[in-house]
Amino acid sequence: MRVEDLDVNEMIGDVGKIICEHDRKKGVLIHAFQKIQQDYGYLPGEVLMTLSKKLSLPLAEIYSVASFYKQFHFSPRGKKVVRVCMGTACHVRGAKNVLNALEDEFGIKQGETTDDLAMTLETVGCVGCCGLAPVATINEDVVGDIGKKKLELLVKAIKEEEK
Amino acid sequence: MVELTIDGKKVSVEDGITILKAAQMNGIKIPNMCYDKRLRPYGACRLCVVEAEKQPRLLASCSTPVAPGMVILTDTPKLRKVRQTVLELMLIHHPLDCPICDKAGECDLQDVAYEYGKPEGRFIRHRKAMPPDVRGPLVELTANRCILCGKCVRICSEHQGRGALGLIGRGFPTVVQPAFGEILECDYCGQCIDICPTGALLSKPFKFQARAWFLEEKDTICPFCGCGCTLTLGTREGNVLRSRGKEDNGRSEGNLCGRGRFGFDYIYSDNRLKTPLIRKNGAFVQATWDEALMHISDSLKYIINSYGKDSVGAIGSHRCTNEDNFMLRKFMVSVIGSHNMDSSAAFGYSKVQKALDMAFGLKTHSINMKSPLGKDVIFILESDISITHPVFGLNILQAKREGSQLIVADSRDTKLTRHSSNYLKMRQGTSVALLNGMMKIILDKGLFNREIVSKTQGFTEFETSLAEYTPGKVSKMTGISEEELVSTAETIAKAKNRMISLTVSATENTKGMDTVLAASNLVILLGEDIDALQIPAEYANTYGTYKMGIRPDAGKTDVKDIFDMLYETNSLNALYIMGEDPVSTFPYNSKIMRTLKSLELLVVQDIALTETAKLAHVVLPASSWAEKDGTFVNAEGIEQKIHRIVDAPGQSLPDWQILRNLSLSMGKEIAIRNIEGVSEEIKKTIREDQKTSDKRVFNTVSYSAGEEPDMEYPLSLVTRDVLQHSGSMSTRSKALDLVVSEAFLEINEDDARKFGISDNSHVKITSRRGTIYLKAKVTDTVQPGTVFTSMHFPHGRVNALTYPSENGAAGTDAVKIESVKG
Ligand code: SF4
Ligand code: SF4
Ligand code: SF4
Ligand code: FES
Ligand code: FES
Repeated sequence: MRVEDLDVNEMIGDVGKIICEHDRKKGVLIHAFQKIQQDYGYLPGEVLMTLSKKLSLPLAEIYSVASFYKQFHFSPRGKKVVRVCMGTACHVRGAKNVLNALEDEFGIKQGETTDDLAMTLETVGCVGCCGLAPVATINEDVVGDIGKKKLELLVKAIKEEEK
Repeated sequence: MVELTIDGKKVSVEDGITILKAAQMNGIKIPNMCYDKRLRPYGACRLCVVEAEKQPRLLASCSTPVAPGMVILTDTPKLRKVRQTVLELMLIHHPLDCPICDKAGECDLQDVAYEYGKPEGRFIRHRKAMPPDVRGPLVELTANRCILCGKCVRICSEHQGRGALGLIGRGFPTVVQPAFGEILECDYCGQCIDICPTGALLSKPFKFQARAWFLEEKDTICPFCGCGCTLTLGTREGNVLRSRGKEDNGRSEGNLCGRGRFGFDYIYSDNRLKTPLIRKNGAFVQATWDEALMHISDSLKYIINSYGKDSVGAIGSHRCTNEDNFMLRKFMVSVIGSHNMDSSAAFGYSKVQKALDMAFGLKTHSINMKSPLGKDVIFILESDISITHPVFGLNILQAKREGSQLIVADSRDTKLTRHSSNYLKMRQGTSVALLNGMMKIILDKGLFNREIVSKTQGFTEFETSLAEYTPGKVSKMTGISEEELVSTAETIAKAKNRMISLTVSATENTKGMDTVLAASNLVILLGEDIDALQIPAEYANTYGTYKMGIRPDAGKTDVKDIFDMLYETNSLNALYIMGEDPVSTFPYNSKIMRTLKSLELLVVQDIALTETAKLAHVVLPASSWAEKDGTFVNAEGIEQKIHRIVDAPGQSLPDWQILRNLSLSMGKEIAIRNIEGVSEEIKKTIREDQKTSDKRVFNTVSYSAGEEPDMEYPLSLVTRDVLQHSGSMSTRSKALDLVVSEAFLEINEDDARKFGISDNSHVKITSRRGTIYLKAKVTDTVQPGTVFTSMHFPHGRVNALTYPSENGAAGTDAVKIESVKG
């Protein structure tokens, strides 16, 4: 989506008629963020700037809304997003080790992305399959029961995908 | 009205207001931390909770409206306990570094903790420990101390219309920051500093200057623009250390812009004059008052004897008080015997005045700062009011928020265009064409009361004169589409009521007397009162200077005005300039310098050695606004007192006193001993001009372009004010200089490409009158074909390029630009 083409009234629909102009504009922000993130993979500063001009909403206000949600990112993300579960069950069964091992292996900290944009490492709280703890996800795929052996496989799986 | 009981007191209040307001109006205090009457209720801090009978829940009084029969308790053991807990939670992460916090002693958080706090907190957590953000020039942000009340964010975006700050993140780690954690770049109004209930936002220039309890605070009036805001100056040991606004105080009701808040330190500029100076063999030598005054009176006497009284002239100043200006007039009239007097108002307020006299028969024009509120339609004509008159501008934004339709016609993006309902992008300097075009549409569509209006003097000529301003033609002249022209004209004509506002001043070159006349025609055409037209006098005491009679038309005819005195060599032999710096602030300064150099006697009386003072034969040191008593009249025509807050440096004296002493040394007996004496004389001599009149006259005005761009000079130069400065005095403020310290040339991206100019590079700018060098700022806020700059900075010498337009028309200047290599 080109930010310039954004149509506030269309996006907001009938609700727009009963709320004020400012709230109407604010109301479309999340949709706009999602579309921008779909296209760019993250929310680039210049695009938010264009959005700010387009909606005549201050950049700080836009950034404030976006920063509230974990789903929005402000820097480019890796092709593979690896999330290590830090929920209670996984925590008990050694999630910390999994995270540390991945951090060492790829030389990045949680929340960071490798320089070649291949992989982003994150943590989550419970992905809903505690029976398999400790668990990590690579994009949509779940890897469970991560012991020493599985860890090697996990690393391999992440790297394999790069090729 | 709603009746309810608060703390046993029966009160009756307006429907729809909050419990907190109702309590405050009846003298009952409820602690609160996230409430400010300028902002919408927010309900974040929960300190303002109250008990209501038959309500199991506690109510946040700041965001609960009153209801009939409510029985409210604001101070009970239960509430004290709740407030204690709220505070305990607020203080979990707060660093409690009061010993090194400038807010201590006047901090809401500290005060509330003192009243409600418990000695011990039950929760142990790491205190926040982020380093303060000191990167910005004037505002320092210490996120550790923030309690996330959101007041700064809201005042900046809701009220100030800027939106530079946001609450970034979620939960405990939330911080107040500009977008992407970048350096704060904003209006630097400092409103967020005043509103912050903690020490999270502080003034950088004031950092570690004094503890709050050692400051002595006194109110005075801002020395910069015509809004006439009340400043509360804090001094310690005879030095002014800070300026702030206090809730509900003065015309500004506690609001201030950055100039009023940070600019006062111009009184500490390095080149303040401390003794009189006399030029001997080309160089200044220090002199005593006696020597200086003798020298002046001897020279003046000689000049009067040789060439007559009319060879002497004087220029007064909007920076000086009424008393100063009055004494200048008295000196000129009764000691010298000359009426050659004028001031910077000649380029602004006087023009407005003259036009309104012609149209409405009024001898005085005051605005009302509250005028925008409640107006159906507000029409702003090519004026950046948020910059020239920031606090008046706030009321325009407020009116827009409350439902007024804000139509802004301008040639560049401004805060007002950003907040407008309709933004008419126009070519610079075409306001007259725009107004004429709109009036033609109103006439053609019969959107006015022909029966009444056609009886107005001058109507027929006026109507005929508009014949050529067809939408098609006007659209070409102004660059505004025909549809927009028609719809704007219709909106303005059909509105229930309206406010039309613009500014005219020496530092702007796109509007003049003809613009005011055209706007008056519109007002008369629509059957409106003069109140519909709001043109603020430009500076702190422009209005008063004019009122005191520092103007060529106040007494006799055949008097020399500023155009004769400064732009005609040989029109005078002696000139007395008080508190004005024409070389820096008036247009076409090369000509002014030539005139000044040809004088036999030039006396400059000022607080600092200005560019003009450098050309003088005698320079007299004057006290600044903070060092004397007196009165200013703001753009509303309201007289306000300024106070002597600190001592004047060296031997400098208040202007009125210097003039009195000079009168004495010229052998004239003047019985005035003190400032009260001057005030009494003023009361006796100056009569109040009537503010209403039934006169209505149409004056035909035709659009004339200033200097049209041509092959040789292809661009139009527009001069505008910058927010952080006002006149040239503010450029001596070290604090304001941190934000904008030099003039720059704003140029559209396309033009920049065309002329090979890159951002921040040096450009040579040439008009038919001169050449200057400035740094370029490439931007998309200005339109192609037009370049913008400001006149405040003496070193920018922008007024070497411009020319004064005497006939009252706008005078944009055609220029060419070249990139400077190296
Ligand atoms: S100084 Fe004014 S413009 Fe800047 S952040 Fe504070 S309130 Fe906003
Ligand atoms: S910085 Fe001050 S005003 Fe802003 S949210 Fe924090 S405590 Fe409130
Ligand atoms: S410059 Fe004008 S708006 Fe700003 S504080 Fe002074 S009087 Fe108020
Ligand atoms: S705790 Fe890891 S999947 Fe539930
Ligand atoms: S003042 Fe009411 S919740 Fe803060």
